[in-house]
Amino acid sequence: MNIVAKDFTPVTTVPPLKASRISKEYLGGTFKALDDVSFELQENQITAFVGPSGCGKTTMLRIIAGLEYPTRGRLEVFGKNVQGPGPDRGMIFQAYTSFPWLTAMQNVEYGMKILKVPAAERRERTMNFLKLVHLEKFADSYPRSLSGGMKQRVALARTLAQNPAIILMDEPFGALDAQVRWEMQELMIELIEREKKTVVAITHDIEEAIYLADRIIFFSRQPGRIKADIPLTFKGGRRIKQKEELLELPGYAELERQLFAMMREEIK
Amino acid sequence: MFLGLWEAGHYLTPASARKFFPSIGEVGSALYVLFAERNFLQDVSVSCWRIFISFMAASAIAVPIGILMGSFGNIRALFNPTLTAWRYLPAASFIPLLLVWFGPTDQAKIALLFIGVIFFLISLVLDNTTAIQKEFVEAGLTMGASRRTILTGIVVPAALPAIFDSMRNMIAVSWTYLVIAEIVGAQDGIGAVMMRAGRFLNVDVIMAGIVTIGALGLLTDLIFRGICRALFPWNVERRS
Ligand SMILES: Nc1ncnc2c1ncn2[C@@H]1O[C@H](COP(=O)(O)OP(=O)(O)OP(=O)(O)O)[C@@H](O)[C@H]1O
Ligand SMILES: [Mg+2]
Repeated sequence: MNIVAKDFTPVTTVPPLKASRISKEYLGGTFKALDDVSFELQENQITAFVGPSGCGKTTMLRIIAGLEYPTRGRLEVFGKNVQGPGPDRGMIFQAYTSFPWLTAMQNVEYGMKILKVPAAERRERTMNFLKLVHLEKFADSYPRSLSGGMKQRVALARTLAQNPAIILMDEPFGALDAQVRWEMQELMIELIEREKKTVVAITHDIEEAIYLADRIIFFSRQPGRIKADIPLTFKGGRRIKQKEELLELPGYAELERQLFAMMREEIK
Repeated sequence: MFLGLWEAGHYLTPASARKFFPSIGEVGSALYVLFAERNFLQDVSVSCWRIFISFMAASAIAVPIGILMGSFGNIRALFNPTLTAWRYLPAASFIPLLLVWFGPTDQAKIALLFIGVIFFLISLVLDNTTAIQKEFVEAGLTMGASRRTILTGIVVPAALPAIFDSMRNMIAVSWTYLVIAEIVGAQDGIGAVMMRAGRFLNVDVIMAGIVTIGALGLLTDLIFRGICRALFPWNVERRS
């Protein structure tokens, strides 16, 4: 495959995340969800996990989050071996996980409370992040009275406010309708750029992956392996905020075509 | 609707047997006589008191145990066999034992109500706890929350509204056992009054007792709903 990584700049610093030879077996070893997967994340990069349904994207993300343990392999965060979950890796789920018994503001505060951030600083950061996700008017609302997109913005603010090194997202906008989804993508790019985060986002949506990501890791299925590791060099190292601008870039159509071809190859 | 059927039933009964199917008016006047002349209020409050004490005691034990069993697999494994066995024992089968132990006292009745409710309540609370959205717990884990924080800060608030619902349903079961308890060897309480009336074929008084229990049940339900609305404002359906 001609688009497999070849022009990556060599990594000199310790990567925020290094996954070495990760395998995950289910059903007493009879089913291999992941087989010998290795990769490194680069600081401040957005990586998208793309691949057909059932190829192990969620499994890989949950292993990184520490919610699942690999059968074999090793996981390092900034060079340190990790086991189990921790606040250095924040996670945003597809299901709405803003706590319904807390207001939007209390939700955003919650993670910082766990980290014992002093009250004054906590308040300030909370208001700041609520503002960034445009929810300052809904600070005292309970999630029940918020729309799906707003609930996801609460979750985004809650995760960002905790200041994790790595943010993991499993189809975070999968449950949203098209227009809200698109707004959320733009907001996410803006916030990630601003907060300088290393991100892994799973998506089914090839267009979404190209728009959000600096790099796409494409998984093949059964067993789950990395099929291709694609740096999105056609963006020229920039993040394009306006979707229509992205569509005009040379290389966009070709990349999309290739990804669709890979997907088709997998599902037949 | 129900009251209409009742009246119809009364008038359709042959005149000779109408004594055994009194009209609403007759039951109403029986109720009046009970309260005005026979100190029925005393019996009603004794019954309510028995329900209240036994239910509080059962909840105080069942809710924490149920939550712990729902949250920790090893605690569940420890208690589950016992719980299952107890749930299959009919509470009424303890009546002779309780009578031998406590005699026809208040304790015997309260103990019966307690036994009748606690094991079912534990398994309901257990189910309520395991039914919470698992992502809430996982979100807590990825935020670095300790087990303790996850239990008190996430599992408990997430499960509490459902737990209150279970309690509301179980208190209705409590009333069933109350009547059984008071029919078997009791001097006072709604059930005892009904039992005595039965001996003299005073059907209007029996029905008055049933109506009273129904009304109290309705009242308990309303109180429970009120408490839930006050405790869980976030769970209230909001019109937007
Ligand atoms: N607990 C489990 N027990 C057995 N098999 C599992 C378990 N969890 C996942 N699997 C299997 O592992 C494979 C990978 O699952 P995973 O959820 O990671 O895929 P995915 O790429 O996220 O799929 P999707 O795009 O549909 O979300 C699937 O075939 C799934 O059925
Ligand atoms: Mg998935």
